[in-house]
Amino acid sequence: MKLARTAILAIASAGLGSVAVVQAQDSGAEAPEMNELERRLGVDSVLFNATIEEEPDDDLLELGRLVAMGSSENGGSGMACITCHGVDGQGDGSGAFPRLDGQPGWYMYKQLQDYASGDRPNRVMSGIAQRLTEREREAVSAYYAAMAAGDLDRAHGDLEGTLLQWGGQLAAVGSAEKGIPACVNCHGPQGTGLPPSVPYLAGQYAGYMELQLELWKEGTRDNDSMDVMSTIANKMTEEDMRAVSEYYARVSNPAGEGAEPAGEYDLPSAE
Amino acid sequence: MVTELPKTDVVIVGAGWTGLAAAKELADAGQRCVVIERGDWRHDASNFGAPEEHDELKYARRKEHMIDTPIKTLSFRNNSDQTALPMRRLGSFLPGKGLGGAGIHWNGQLWRPLPSDLEMRSHYTERYGEGILDGMNIQDWGMTYDELEPHLDFFDRVCGTSGVAGNLNGETQEGGNPFEGPRSADYPNPPMKASPPLQVFRDTAEQMGYNPFHMPSANVTRAYENAYGAQLHPCTYCGFCERFGCGYFAKADPIICIYDVVKDHENFELRMNSQVLRVEKSSDGKTATGVTYIDEDGREVFQPADTVCLNAYALWNVHLMLVSGLGTPYDPQTGEGTVGRNYAYQTIAAAGVFFDDNVWSNPFMGAGALGMTIDDFNGDNFDHTDLGFVGGGYISANQTNGRPINYQPTPPDTPSWGAEWKQAVRENYLHHVGIVCHGSSVAVPGNYLDLDPTYKDAYGQPLLRMTFDFPENDRKMSAYVLSKAEEIARNMDHVRAVSTVNRAAEGESYSVVPYQTTHNTGGAVIGSDPATSVVNRYGQMWDHHNVFVFGACLFPQNLGYNPTGPLMGLAYWTLDHMKNDYLQNPRPLMDA
Repeated sequence: MKLARTAILAIASAGLGSVAVVQAQDSGAEAPEMNELERRLGVDSVLFNATIEEEPDDDLLELGRLVAMGSSENGGSGMACITCHGVDGQGDGSGAFPRLDGQPGWYMYKQLQDYASGDRPNRVMSGIAQRLTEREREAVSAYYAAMAAGDLDRAHGDLEGTLLQWGGQLAAVGSAEKGIPACVNCHGPQGTGLPPSVPYLAGQYAGYMELQLELWKEGTRDNDSMDVMSTIANKMTEEDMRAVSEYYARVSNPAGEGAEPAGEYDLPSAE
Repeated sequence: MVTELPKTDVVIVGAGWTGLAAAKELADAGQRCVVIERGDWRHDASNFGAPEEHDELKYARRKEHMIDTPIKTLSFRNNSDQTALPMRRLGSFLPGKGLGGAGIHWNGQLWRPLPSDLEMRSHYTERYGEGILDGMNIQDWGMTYDELEPHLDFFDRVCGTSGVAGNLNGETQEGGNPFEGPRSADYPNPPMKASPPLQVFRDTAEQMGYNPFHMPSANVTRAYENAYGAQLHPCTYCGFCERFGCGYFAKADPIICIYDVVKDHENFELRMNSQVLRVEKSSDGKTATGVTYIDEDGREVFQPADTVCLNAYALWNVHLMLVSGLGTPYDPQTGEGTVGRNYAYQTIAAAGVFFDDNVWSNPFMGAGALGMTIDDFNGDNFDHTDLGFVGGGYISANQTNGRPINYQPTPPDTPSWGAEWKQAVRENYLHHVGIVCHGSSVAVPGNYLDLDPTYKDAYGQPLLRMTFDFPENDRKMSAYVLSKAEEIARNMDHVRAVSTVNRAAEGESYSVVPYQTTHNTGGAVIGSDPATSVVNRYGQMWDHHNVFVFGACLFPQNLGYNPTGPLMGLAYWTLDHMKNDYLQNPRPLMDA
């Protein structure tokens, strides 16, 4: 029963994906220029976000860009990241594929490791991750981590206000009744994540987050270090999951936006 | 004008660990329970979540979860020749307030007493002869470890305690504490992780022939359903345990472990923001009739009850007895009377270890009970012949937190401010661990609790007066155990410097100013002789059979361990006898 359900979800995701690729291309998004990414690394928080084993340099970012476009040492991952995750890392708009732009590099690198080993089972991603070398996993993670996580210019569907309010409550203070700790405990006060290990939720696709909560609840996904998420998802109903996912999808994500290299501020002049 | 409310079966003073455990067990046994709590309602989900809770200034420095001293405090002096003064700021110890009590801001270090601890007088006099306890009020607890074990085990399953058993049903186990009493079951959860400094401590202690083991922890290590069906979550090592509530549902506390599963019980009622003033007695003085309290609207209210349970913090239970005239106050001149007698504390010393760049502690990843411990110098686990003292303490490398205001370790001879100090903090913050010596405290005739003749609290009642200094026995014990800790520290690899601090050093009086530990014990001790104990071995007052007393005030002298585990074992032991014996036939359970 559990396997069948997972398979259906995977097929559904793939189906949605193929439709949405067109949308992504229509949106006219462009890959960020390399010198733009390098400039962003002048800010400590961005540099920390993008650092995995060592600080990223030109070579690593360039390799990351190549992997994202579908090239690799082993003759390619078989699929370019941008096909589903977009050249700007913002997904394809469908919600089936998560945004990667500005997510913590170490977090994404660990996901690739776990996809490859099967610790995070996924039909599509396992094969892709297995065909990448260690260095390529690190490079493509650093590449996406160095991007700004800007707000999506996409419409959200209409929802009942009470559902969003409930989602906001779960995010901010959890539920004493159900024994659910608040999301902000680990994902940060604004849902912008806690690098290197905790991803942002603010501005992520609702459909993706809802599916992950379901996978955690059913035990298909259990690859966070303490298995904290399964314990939390176990206490959530489908409505709770939908509410909190729809809520966070609508939260503005300021992380990385407008990051300027340090030293450009004017100091108040001494009288 | 006192409002008299309808009578209830049981009235419980205080909604901390013991009060909520009593409410849960007695409500399940069909008793209508009213719990009266001085502080506010609060909950882990809605009140203790990060990032707001991770406010070191608000909670660790300004101590927002603790009692308000302008309303409730005590007076203090070192000896009876001095005049006691009110403690106007919290310092040495931190009693809590609000739902969950001090069980909210504890570290989660969850111990059991040694079998010999519970029979301390019998054990020492048999092994070393009568004279070794001269000048001390050392007593047996009145029950054995084997009698207490099922209740200690039950509390382990309420908290989801993590650790490695050292003694399972009499069989010594690899990697555990070989000195502990036999456990009837393994720890419910596997031990915590060991950070690099803890690994170095473990390796060094092993090389020196000691027996290191993971400190038993109520910071839960995996998803766990407790004995009452509550769901606990895994600890994330956030480093905000002591002085903070846990928003992760990962540090066992009275709210998530007990309150959540009793709050909707038809026999359970909780009254917040209500200050109990006194226990009322019947006209013949033999029983209690209920309690009088100030309710949240400021009205004076009498709540009659068949049974009264005192579940306030150790010091406040004693205060409540003294202002209510329960039992006989202790008179240090004659040595007679028992209420306030045998107050004891905890004797704390510590070594600080400063590593070179080969050992990274990353102290911001910590937990209240993240420790690697040896018990080789605790209790009577070592030969005390010719040492000149009894008791001991555990020695533990603990990584509890790396919080920015308070955690600024610097090696000896570092200036306390300026560029050199800043440089030392930068160099050492990531390369330091503290080794605590958590020492026992013996009871002596000159350390006691009574009522202050001068100062009153916000309710017009005399303050509790504490008279305490470290007994000579404990000064010797502390110096000895600290010397062992220092020896381990100096034998560790990659150590650049070692610092030491001994709160009970020769020539220095105990001070209520620097924080030491919230382990105040005694004053209403348990035992089998009414001349030397306030309650009988079941926790029932000798003088008033329908008053049951809970908490660390019961300890005849203090152990080398943190008190929550032992006092909760006692609580479930008392509740067992209430449910299965007393309530069917209310009477004194022992002949005086």
